[in-house]
Amino acid sequence: MKRFTITLIACLAVAWLLSGERFLDSVFEMVDLGQVDDIIIERVIWLEERKASLGLPDVFGAIRQSLHNVLGLG
Amino acid sequence: MVFPTLQFIVFFFCVLALNGMVWSRPVWRKAMLIAASYVFYAAWDVRFLALMIGVSLIAWLAGIGVTKPALRTFSKVTSITLLILTLGVFKYFNFFMLSFSQLLEGTAFARDLQWISIILPVGISFYIFQAISYVMDVDRGDVPVRRNATDVFLFISFFPQLVAGPIVRAAHFLPQIDNPKAPDRAARALAIILILMGLFKKMVVANYLSVLIVDPVYALPDGQNMITATAAMLGYAIQIYCDFSGYSDIAIGIALLLGYEFHRNFNQPYRAHSLRNFWQRWHISLSTWIRDYLYIPLGGNVGGALRSGIIVVLTMTLAGLWHGAGWNFLLWGFVHGAGLAVERMFRARNFALPYWLAVFVVFVIVCLLWVPFRAADFYETKAMFTALFTLDGFAPAELSATIWGLIAVGFVINILPMQWLGRSQAILSHAPASVQAVILAIGVWGIFAAAQDGVAPFIYFQF
Repeated sequence: MKRFTITLIACLAVAWLLSGERFLDSVFEMVDLGQVDDIIIERVIWLEERKASLGLPDVFGAIRQSLHNVLGLG
Repeated sequence: MVFPTLQFIVFFFCVLALNGMVWSRPVWRKAMLIAASYVFYAAWDVRFLALMIGVSLIAWLAGIGVTKPALRTFSKVTSITLLILTLGVFKYFNFFMLSFSQLLEGTAFARDLQWISIILPVGISFYIFQAISYVMDVDRGDVPVRRNATDVFLFISFFPQLVAGPIVRAAHFLPQIDNPKAPDRAARALAIILILMGLFKKMVVANYLSVLIVDPVYALPDGQNMITATAAMLGYAIQIYCDFSGYSDIAIGIALLLGYEFHRNFNQPYRAHSLRNFWQRWHISLSTWIRDYLYIPLGGNVGGALRSGIIVVLTMTLAGLWHGAGWNFLLWGFVHGAGLAVERMFRARNFALPYWLAVFVVFVIVCLLWVPFRAADFYETKAMFTALFTLDGFAPAELSATIWGLIAVGFVINILPMQWLGRSQAILSHAPASVQAVILAIGVWGIFAAAQDGVAPFIYFQF
């Protein structure tokens, strides 16, 4: 179970790297946690800036676009 | 906090990791799960956490009380009354005041009786039902009393099923609190399939049907043509099934990953060949709860056909009211009850339709009864039925292939032989843990990509 959990957490990190700014959007949609909220947002913005400097593609956005076009969703 | 959100994913991964760390320490494990459940619930509205803690406290104290001969009746009556009153105040107060106010309208006693507006706490019907069942089961001797408060508090608040079921029974869940089963490959495989299936049903099928056909038609039912109204009716039948069974699937899956097993809550309900069979397949945990704690105590099958018919109608009417404080829910429950009573009469005379005709007739009845269930009021219900039964030369409806496609997917989910689940589980069971995790992650990622923007709440949250 340990390996399963660790792999899932690693996958979350990869998903974050390849999902554009969606994680940042989700953080802003979170319940207001007061001061904790500010710390989380500050950290996520810092991470997002590091990620942006890597110039990774928004794979999630591309898959989403293709799926919606093919299936007529949206 | 809603399941299909990034917020929940992060929360659940933290709980999963912590659960693994404290697995061999029961006291810490229970405390961690209670704390996680309270965080999960407080994410909606922290004020209602006190209510849930209060309900848990009542159940725990009453459980101890009913085991003492001198306190048995007092504990049982007081706790059940308190729990039902709590549900009544939060869920039905506004409805009764509004109905009473409307009744007085036009008379000399007309008053504005809506003194206060009470917000409905999420999942209140579910956790109060669990609390009632715990007290009654201990009283009947079906479940040994739990003197340790954390056991009862965890039973009532366990987050996977906290807000929309399945309604878990103490006899099934409490022994698992002491000895949860570490999820092996097979359990993980089943959990992955259930989570992905549940997310797909909710985020793709239910949400798109809601936006593309159901909500627009129900918002303006006047003047809709027959085809559009039929598509909306079918769309809602699939939407509510995929929405609610989707939630149950995810709940069962995530509980399984934490080491706890829940019973199945849906079993392809639109394959039912009678209304009785439908209720054996739809929201099974509620149907059995109502049978054990309402129908049987009211008299059940004891007595003549008329007496048991009245009891079934009364039980189903109350079940309708459980779904929501509104006359439309009452009507829905009453007609289901009447249908069950009529069906019994036919069965007693050995009258039966051919199997597939029976499945079709039951499906049509269930779909028609979803109309008052979905409609906001009687006016909307009437407008929808008018549209459904007005022959307008089958005027071409501007319905996209996507809508019919989604309805078809919903039907396929209902008629697919259940062996597929066992076979998929067997295949996935061979994969190592890390591969299983990657499959789950890719599946969730893909479903999120196909889903709409924004988070649509689950329909059963309001119940």
